[in-house]
Amino acid sequence: MLNPLQKRMLRRRIVQAVPVLLLATFSVFMLLKLLPGDVAITLAGENATTERIEEIRRINGLDRPLLVQYGQWALNAVQGDLSESLLSGEEVTTTLARVFPNTLFIVCYAILLSIVIGVPLGLLAAARSGGLADRLVMVGSSVGVALPNFWIAMILVVALALNRQIFPATGFVSPWQDLSGAIWYATLPAVALAASGVAEVSRQLRSSLVEVLGSQHFRTLHAKGLPFRSILWRHGLKNVSVNLLTVISLLVNRTLAATVVVEVVFAVPGMGNTIVNATLQRDFPVVQGAVLVMVLTVITVNLITDMLYSVLDPRISQR
Amino acid sequence: MTKRPEEIINTLPPLRRRQVLAGMAGAAAIGLLPRGAFAQDGNVLRIRANSNPSSLDPATGGAGSDHVFLYNFYDTLVDWEPETLAPKPGLAASWDFTDPTTLVLKLQEGVTFHDGSPFNAEAVKFNLDRNRTAQLSNIKKDLANVSEVQATDELTVTLTLSAPDTALPLILSDRAGMMVSPQALNNDPEANVDRAPVGTGPWTFTGWTDNEKVSGERFADHWREGIPGVDGIVLNVIPEAATGLRAIQSGQVDLAYQLDERQQQLVDKMPNLTLVAGPTLYIYQVYLNSARGPLQDVRVRRAMSLAIDRDAYVQVTQAGVGEPAYMNLPKAHWAWSEEAAAVTTFDVDAAKKLMEEAGFADGIELDMRGYPDQGSVQRQEFLLAQWAKIGVKGRFTNAPISEASGRFFGDEKVGDLLMSAWTGRPDPSLTYALMYGQTSYYNPGRVAPPEGYDAALQKSRESNDQAERAAALSTVQKLAMEAALCIPLSIRYEVDATTDRVQNFKANLLGKPKFRDVTLG
Amino acid sequence: MSDAVQSPPVAQIDRDGFLTRVRHWLIDDPVAAVALVALAVIVACAIFAPWIAPFDPTMQDYNSMLDGPSAVHLLGTDDLGRDVFSRLIYGARASVYAAFLAVGVASLLGIPIGLIAGYAGGWVDEVVSRIIDTFLSFPAIVLAIAVTGVLGIGLTNAMLSVGIVFAPQLARLVRARALVLKQELYVDAARCFGASTWSILTRHILPNAIQPVLVQMTLLMAVALLAEASLSFLGLGTQPPDASWGSMIARAYLYAQIAPAQMYAPGIAILVTALAFNTVGESLREALDPTSRRP
Repeated sequence: MLNPLQKRMLRRRIVQAVPVLLLATFSVFMLLKLLPGDVAITLAGENATTERIEEIRRINGLDRPLLVQYGQWALNAVQGDLSESLLSGEEVTTTLARVFPNTLFIVCYAILLSIVIGVPLGLLAAARSGGLADRLVMVGSSVGVALPNFWIAMILVVALALNRQIFPATGFVSPWQDLSGAIWYATLPAVALAASGVAEVSRQLRSSLVEVLGSQHFRTLHAKGLPFRSILWRHGLKNVSVNLLTVISLLVNRTLAATVVVEVVFAVPGMGNTIVNATLQRDFPVVQGAVLVMVLTVITVNLITDMLYSVLDPRISQR
Repeated sequence: MTKRPEEIINTLPPLRRRQVLAGMAGAAAIGLLPRGAFAQDGNVLRIRANSNPSSLDPATGGAGSDHVFLYNFYDTLVDWEPETLAPKPGLAASWDFTDPTTLVLKLQEGVTFHDGSPFNAEAVKFNLDRNRTAQLSNIKKDLANVSEVQATDELTVTLTLSAPDTALPLILSDRAGMMVSPQALNNDPEANVDRAPVGTGPWTFTGWTDNEKVSGERFADHWREGIPGVDGIVLNVIPEAATGLRAIQSGQVDLAYQLDERQQQLVDKMPNLTLVAGPTLYIYQVYLNSARGPLQDVRVRRAMSLAIDRDAYVQVTQAGVGEPAYMNLPKAHWAWSEEAAAVTTFDVDAAKKLMEEAGFADGIELDMRGYPDQGSVQRQEFLLAQWAKIGVKGRFTNAPISEASGRFFGDEKVGDLLMSAWTGRPDPSLTYALMYGQTSYYNPGRVAPPEGYDAALQKSRESNDQAERAAALSTVQKLAMEAALCIPLSIRYEVDATTDRVQNFKANLLGKPKFRDVTLG
Repeated sequence: MSDAVQSPPVAQIDRDGFLTRVRHWLIDDPVAAVALVALAVIVACAIFAPWIAPFDPTMQDYNSMLDGPSAVHLLGTDDLGRDVFSRLIYGARASVYAAFLAVGVASLLGIPIGLIAGYAGGWVDEVVSRIIDTFLSFPAIVLAIAVTGVLGIGLTNAMLSVGIVFAPQLARLVRARALVLKQELYVDAARCFGASTWSILTRHILPNAIQPVLVQMTLLMAVALLAEASLSFLGLGTQPPDASWGSMIARAYLYAQIAPAQMYAPGIAILVTALAFNTVGESLREALDPTSRRP
């Protein structure tokens, strides 16, 4: 499926990802080490003495030089061993295997909602450019982008989960165990996240469509007597698919970041909650592992996007 | 319960008041019922737990919230009365101080660990030695006064103490008294059962998924007949209180403990839920660094304590569910002292006068520390408004618990005060030693306690008579309150909700519920 | 990009022309004018809060906690009996301060880094670009949480970290512009006449790269505002007894089941302000874009 040019691009991108991953985990590691207070204080328990805290540091190797600590972690990570949580002793890979699918599920759900709702809205607005529908969609999308998503999350909880118990207010079910249950639980978080997604998709789609519709090529087709609707569907969407792809890949990154706060509101055992808790408790193996997975996800999404670009428009890979 | 004054009961709404009393009285009733009277069908008790345990090995864990998990898998050498925390037999059928520095424990017969190995004097010796000397042990300090442990015979253990310590029986009701199977540790004191507990408790461990759940199934050979009341137990970790309440409301769990006080009125509105509430040893308080700036002056510290309207504090921050704290113990505790509690009142005029006498009529500016969650922030804002009345100004600098307390109590010594809490200790003498002792971690200024304090504390640890101990501890507390070494604010109340199926559940004064007696209807 | 070619060799801001352009811009786009007025009102609230607010925002009244709107308390009272309307007005301070601080830090860091990388090219550019890539592949809020941890919790520190997190976005934008501009004839000319690198950067490249950056900065204001709200919601931003819209929402969530109305006002305030920043930014983008159809 891939031509040699695309393969070369793929290889180059993978090589470029290595320093990014190293830099990302290293900077997170250094950041955590700069944080005042460390996990030893929590580990030492309620009757902690200063000596006991020192002893805990020694036992866990927290007193070794920073570079040695990081090197050890990176060496193990390359071999697939993300070590254990300093607090609970659970394997970090186990933790991530549990929480990452939850986050991914919500993100995908939110993106799907953004597309399913955003695309028709964008089409409608573009087709009736300047009309009432267009204005409504544009105002709606401006509001959508400016909404604090955790606020929307809270309002959804109050309106749909507390007063009328239509959806569960908080918590989560793993999609592996119970798919319909997972959809049920993920709906409110996904809707909260999709508010800005719908806005972004419909707005970008509209503007690129309007641009295409105004182009010479298009006017020609229209002049030839092709019905407007069919031009819009066949040629409009095809021309703007590249644009849409950009929006969606941006959206994945942004939604992934936004889940951090939304997961807190909905108490979802996902990456966001894991990162926030582990950061607050200075449990650095967990933070490192989670950041590694998140950065990997973003890099992969970017890579897939670029590959898709080159499939949609082969000229791109020749750059 | 005899000391519980009417006015506290009266501040509670009618429904709650009834249930508070019922919850406390229920405890006595259970003791009268014959063992085995409870249904033991294939039912599982599902509980909402409020945090992931730090470890399921009693020696290595660090969080006070672990006990609720540990009690299910381990028995303690000594048990306590739920209402007063007075000690009573556990794995040790009896104990006796044959002289002030010798404690002899007689063990229960016929007890086995979950792995089938026998519970005997050797096992107790192994555990106590591990707890007091192993490098991985977090509780070495609890047993600091124990110099030697001997297995005198199969069921007799003799503890030789380096100094008299009558707090030991209650210390053995805490982590230090939880017995781990030596076989599960391969008789290696440095091994741990962090993620696979093996004890003698009512349930055997079946699994722990971080931040999700901990589960166990009936240990058929438990030495007490009729224990446990249910076949299986699952503790679902749901940190957020609102989520916890919703979980029980929707029937996902049967019992939710340590809910937010504000949720009490919501529970009352839900017809299928029963509220179980009562005082705990958990006390909201402000720690002062008495070695810094204006706080070196006892008059300033006293003034800051006198300026706080604790009744309003309970109303505002705990929705009225709690009791004002004028000392470091709740009123229901056997060592509560009227004399010590009377030292502190709410008196703004007196507070202002003290500030003037101290030469701070124009007010002072303090560096305040705390935690960033919204509940803590609310308490901080309340305190700022109270202290503003006597010219004590300042801002709170917040940080996560480990950071804020590490920097305040540890070597760095940042901040004049820390808005935090005391989670309570089984024996009050531990509380006083840890909170005010000159070298103690929780005495941030490492200031010497007042004249006579150490002597009275020592006396409380030498006597084996409860009334004598209470008198000595009263002196200890009174001296601490007069010196205003810290500012207790209020007692947190246990606020638990159960569904109608749950029977025989009671709150305890320690604030760490035990579920072994619970049955499902 | 064609505007670079049209630009004069040395950037000069024609004051009259600038004002005229602003006037035209606002007449052409009345919505932007409204948004600008809204922003002015919010900034005025922030500056004159003590004179506008009917109550001291920290004054507590335990006899009227969580009350609904009334003639005395227009938006009711919060869990400590404080006037919500007054807290909302004072909260504008935190928000305005947060937005300007974060974007200011982002510009101070991002613009020079982008200029240098774009102009220097070669390995400098390669290294800087990798670093920018790294930062952009982080979920921004995670980075902000970690940096806030290092600097210490508090509004200023939280916004410094948000600024640091935003800087790569501006750097990438400036770098791309600088890359194009350094090949322009007038830059070559300046170089031939012996102009120093400093003077080329500040007098030739920066002024011509600044327009899209200005637009981006305005849009970032809205993002910064939302970031402040998020961090305050997590308890990492504004500290007691100060009010911020984000922390007001966070507190209201404690009472979501008892007094759900508490969370509406601060949320709407955030929404309106972010909307205003976005509207102005988008409008600026169009007004400054030479390819857009403008008379």
